[in-house]
Amino acid sequence: MNDLSQEYKFYIALVAGVIIATLLSGSPAGYLNFLLLFLVFGIMMITRTWHDRMFYLTCGSQPLVIACSVMNIWAGLFTVCMLAGMMCGELGLLESHRDFRFFALFCGSSFLIALLIQLSNHVLLPLLIFSCMAAIILGIQTVRMHQFRKHYSGA
Amino acid sequence: MLLRRCTQGLSLISLLLISCAVILDDMAILLAGCTLIMGILGQYLIFDHHFREIIASVEIQRSLDRNPVRKGTELQVSTNITFQGSPGMHVQIADLLPANTILLEGMTSVTTKPDPSSQAHQWSYRIIPIIHGTHHFSGISVTIRNLFFEENVQLTREGDRKPALSVLPTGSFASMASELSDGTKDSRKVSVWTGSDVHSLREYSAGDDLKHVDWKVSAKYDKFFIRKFTGLVSHPPLVIVDLPWCDAPYPEKEFNRMISEVTGMAKHTIQTYQYVSILLISGPNIIHLIREEKNIARCISELREWMHPAERLVHFYHMADRSDLRSKVRLSEYVLQQTTDSRARVFFENLHDRYVSILQYQRVPAFSGQVARTLSQLVMTEAYLFSLGYGDTSHIPQVVRQLQSLQIRVHNRIIDGTRPEKSVFRDYSAKTSEARS
Repeated sequence: MNDLSQEYKFYIALVAGVIIATLLSGSPAGYLNFLLLFLVFGIMMITRTWHDRMFYLTCGSQPLVIACSVMNIWAGLFTVCMLAGMMCGELGLLESHRDFRFFALFCGSSFLIALLIQLSNHVLLPLLIFSCMAAIILGIQTVRMHQFRKHYSGA
Repeated sequence: MLLRRCTQGLSLISLLLISCAVILDDMAILLAGCTLIMGILGQYLIFDHHFREIIASVEIQRSLDRNPVRKGTELQVSTNITFQGSPGMHVQIADLLPANTILLEGMTSVTTKPDPSSQAHQWSYRIIPIIHGTHHFSGISVTIRNLFFEENVQLTREGDRKPALSVLPTGSFASMASELSDGTKDSRKVSVWTGSDVHSLREYSAGDDLKHVDWKVSAKYDKFFIRKFTGLVSHPPLVIVDLPWCDAPYPEKEFNRMISEVTGMAKHTIQTYQYVSILLISGPNIIHLIREEKNIARCISELREWMHPAERLVHFYHMADRSDLRSKVRLSEYVLQQTTDSRARVFFENLHDRYVSILQYQRVPAFSGQVARTLSQLVMTEAYLFSLGYGDTSHIPQVVRQLQSLQIRVHNRIIDGTRPEKSVFRDYSAKTSEARS
């Protein structure tokens, strides 16, 4: 019940944020955001008992992220953070201080990506930087995992 | 690292989004794609963190029911595993068997549900080593998965591979005592389990294995000589149980002790020799034969079914054994020759006549034939006879004599209530030989 309420809290914050952002921007396609909010809510309700609910929620919320980002990149960032909070709540990943730190780290990283996108004129540069960072992280992880396996294999 | 179905789907969507962003040069789609990939990366880092925590906390302790063991015999392994669980993480731990062993029965792995507390699991299984030598366990395989990822690691450190299983070859397992006492004897039959002793050499003939060439002797005589090896074969002892008569009172406490001793012996014999034969008799009646049973559980259930006081259709009524009677006749004849006292002579003459008349009318009992027929089906070098030694025990010398005529060493275990901690060894053959002398 606690997870569900956490999930709803984030959803309510998402709804409030999207409404405010849509009204402030005065976008003529603002109604689309409200429709997509309903879509997310519908998926939340339908998939309540499903095992892989998180997957459907993520897929169903991507149109909302894109719609908000088209309107304003920071609105898109806010949507991403709220949706991430919903997912974490669903997975039970917001229960300890360490979990909140991970969530905050995700939000901070998303902010940096949004900032990078905001400062760039084209897709390729931020994508290249992001790809390099991801490759470096994966490279470090591969080396760490190799050392870890080596240690536990008694070598 | 294995991506699970959910992560595969999310990765595909994020790649699609990034592809669309590149094609359309749309920053909004790029943000959606990049944050999705970052979410997956973040989940990977969280998974990796928990994975390391769990692996670092895994501790294993194995115990073997006996070590060393003989090649081809069953061995029970009990494993205790403790580890610190983690929320959202399914942990599967499998015990990796030593090389060249076969799993006979039991589970070697455990799968746990997500639980952040410290967990302890215990399981046991039976294995059969098929090659002799010292074998270490191969380690532990730990598989951890959550909704997004799955990872497997094999822990093969020295501590994870203990204890070392010492498997002795069949021949070397024989004890250093006399050949008959441990149920083994030298065999020169061709066997896959050859011992290490050479009993003879012969000239090489086509088709012989070159591994068996004695190079030293071959060099000396300038032609190939092949070593012929001896192999030790061992036969399990026959367990004979003399059940009490159900229509007469019997000491229940001693009977229960006899049941537990027989069960323990049957179990030990199966573990050591791979099978056991148990002959159940009640007085001069053969009740049941458990023949070459290999399964412990089946053997014990069969013992449970049959080991209770039984009806005796035939009774010996303390009938003297024919060999004993002949010895007594000889003894009385000897005394008659030696003595000059008239009263003693009359007594011994009467005694002699009585013995002779009994001998004339006494036939070989059917029980002896039944025992002989039963024993002819079995191969053994020694036998254990369990009895309460209560009431009429005249059938026991019949059994003992049959076994001894086949050169089988007999151990009589008489369960005596006066010595509760030990069963008494009673030598019927000694008694009969004393009487003869």
